Amino acid sequence: MNRTRASGLGVIAALVAAVPTAALAQAGARPAGAASASGVTTREIRFYSEAVLCYGKLFLPAGFSSASKAPSVVLAPTPGETAATLDRYAEAIAARGILAMTIDYRGWGKSGGFIYLAEPLKWDDRLRFSQHTAKVRIRRKRMIPSAQVTDIRNAITYLQGEPGVDRDRIGVWGSDLAGGHAVTVAGTDARVKALVAQVPIIPGKDVPRRATTLTAEQQSALVRLARTPAAGTAAGASLNDEEAKLALAEYRPFWSVTQIPQTSAVLFIVAEKDAKVDNESHAIAAFRLLKGPTSVRTIPGAAHALSGSAADAAAAAAADWLQKYL
Amino acid sequence: VIAIWITGACVAGSLAPHASAQISSAIVDEHRAALQKQATDADMKREGGTQPRDWNYELPEGVTTRQVTFYVDGGTALYGKMFFPKNFVTTLRWPAVVVGHGINALSIGIEKYAARFAARGLVAMAIDYQSYGFSSSGSDDIRLLEPDTTTDASAVIERQARILLKRTNLNNVHEVADFRAAISFLQGEPGIDPDRIGIWGSSNGGTVVLAVAATDARVKAVVAQVTGPRPAGRRRVAIAPQNIEDAITRVRTGQGAEVDGGFSFRSKVDQWYLTRNQDVQAGAVLDQIAPTTSVLFLPAERDELTKGPAGAIEAAKFLNDRGVTAQAIVLPELTHFQAYSYTGFEVGATLAADWFVKYLGERRASTSTGGK
Repeated sequence: MNRTRASGLGVIAALVAAVPTAALAQAGARPAGAASASGVTTREIRFYSEAVLCYGKLFLPAGFSSASKAPSVVLAPTPGETAATLDRYAEAIAARGILAMTIDYRGWGKSGGFIYLAEPLKWDDRLRFSQHTAKVRIRRKRMIPSAQVTDIRNAITYLQGEPGVDRDRIGVWGSDLAGGHAVTVAGTDARVKALVAQVPIIPGKDVPRRATTLTAEQQSALVRLARTPAAGTAAGASLNDEEAKLALAEYRPFWSVTQIPQTSAVLFIVAEKDAKVDNESHAIAAFRLLKGPTSVRTIPGAAHALSGSAADAAAAAAADWLQKYL
Repeated sequence: VIAIWITGACVAGSLAPHASAQISSAIVDEHRAALQKQATDADMKREGGTQPRDWNYELPEGVTTRQVTFYVDGGTALYGKMFFPKNFVTTLRWPAVVVGHGINALSIGIEKYAARFAARGLVAMAIDYQSYGFSSSGSDDIRLLEPDTTTDASAVIERQARILLKRTNLNNVHEVADFRAAISFLQGEPGIDPDRIGIWGSSNGGTVVLAVAATDARVKAVVAQVTGPRPAGRRRVAIAPQNIEDAITRVRTGQGAEVDGGFSFRSKVDQWYLTRNQDVQAGAVLDQIAPTTSVLFLPAERDELTKGPAGAIEAAKFLNDRGVTAQAIVLPELTHFQAYSYTGFEVGATLAADWFVKYLGERRASTSTGGK
């Protein structure tokens, strides 16, 4: 299936053919270190998402300097995976002159965990800040979409503070459920000018926009979470499962689709043979509701887990889109 | 002549099934002279906040209390003070109400509302939001002062660590979660009917309770005092130009600038709240409130923060038009913080209790299928 609106796929393909990657590497000063064939260099950074120090990796385009006014994009991993899986995409995007930043969510990969007090402390609200040596509980591998969305938004803020980045030309890229995150961020945060949702999972299409009616089972789970202090690692793991189930059940990124204004350009990349996602009720349904520049790019023959040439084609499509709209 | 009370009803041609006043507002008429006195008496003026003398109350005869701990966001301990009606027994099923304070304030200032509700046969629980009062700070407000060496090999690790604890993070996203955790806690409390739970919030807490009702259909009744979220379209959050540098400092150093939190509890808060709290837009989600939830607005006529009662009146109309039972009763003459004291309190607390008793009902005999 090959549905486009604002720009034909033929145009995208032609663009790719006409601009060989080597041509994008600017002549002149290439930063020292591991520059790729396209002159992209990388730098690992840390940023705070709320109180947690998170990991990010910047992919700097050839010739990028603090005097540049480069567009930029945050790449968010499939929940459950880490920034390390996104190098290929960040590399392809940076090769087009766009600063790309991959991130690990709080509690995943190289990012810090969520910190809780494991023993009572004395505090004084009038002081606001106090230092303690205390027993803490550090929780990792939580699957909380709203926290991950906050992480993406904080990463956007990080990019806005990076010398050489144009604060007004920032995009978001996400795959799988992070494609849903990208839609959520674009629908709630006015800074997003372009987004790419790859093999996106965008739940909520057939759920009326109403307060959630929780099942008896869900209500019992909420009661347990509210009445049980998390204790011990074994209990912690099952706590993660219960929490994730509830959080995912309430996560409706599809509701954000209609909040994306015409000034934000949205590309959906779908796999033709996706066995995990029904593209009709996710990417394509969202595509139909958008009023601004939008397109669905289908990777022929590809399965949900893109790899090899399918992943390269998806990376090129994302780079094309972001180059055009940022 | 001052409009004494206004229902959110009677839109011509409306097919809304509940488009009429639901409780009597006669008490407003009865106390009109006293409200006028409160509005003009120099000693009863309240500008910029309530005063500690406004927080005092006497526990009604037979009402008992218990302090409890409950958990939000996977392990943050929150504080609640429960007020049980006279003759409370767990063998019956009682309606219950969560009582949450306004902007930058503490539960001790609103315990008196919980006490009044308990006097009317409701179990009531006044709560402190996370990072306030007796509630702990959550994971958004605890920063490690040493490297986090944990890896994805373990989901939970407990150890000694140096930390920086932050308090009074004014954050409506937290407050929505805190209310929902309180509802969950009450649902599991022996003697409480898990299907008859209400929420009360005042000022900024009124904004929060409406957002909670728009999110969670477990809420059966809402009272939103001195708040007026005019129905509005959903909009993306924009960071005001003067807040962008601060936001950048925040993600690059872990802490941005502070501003005076003001109001009743004069602590500092993060400047970031001006941006973060836009993530909770009560006026934009009124259309999500379920028809099984009923909403009472208690705006103050001369409210300097909400610019009068018009927003609340519009919100009640908007809900009625969509088949949600709603009513707005204006507290005449009063300014924002006068609603919490003297006759303003007497009238506001009585109307709120009337609403909860009407829409949550009274204690009932236990059934063999009930309870959780």
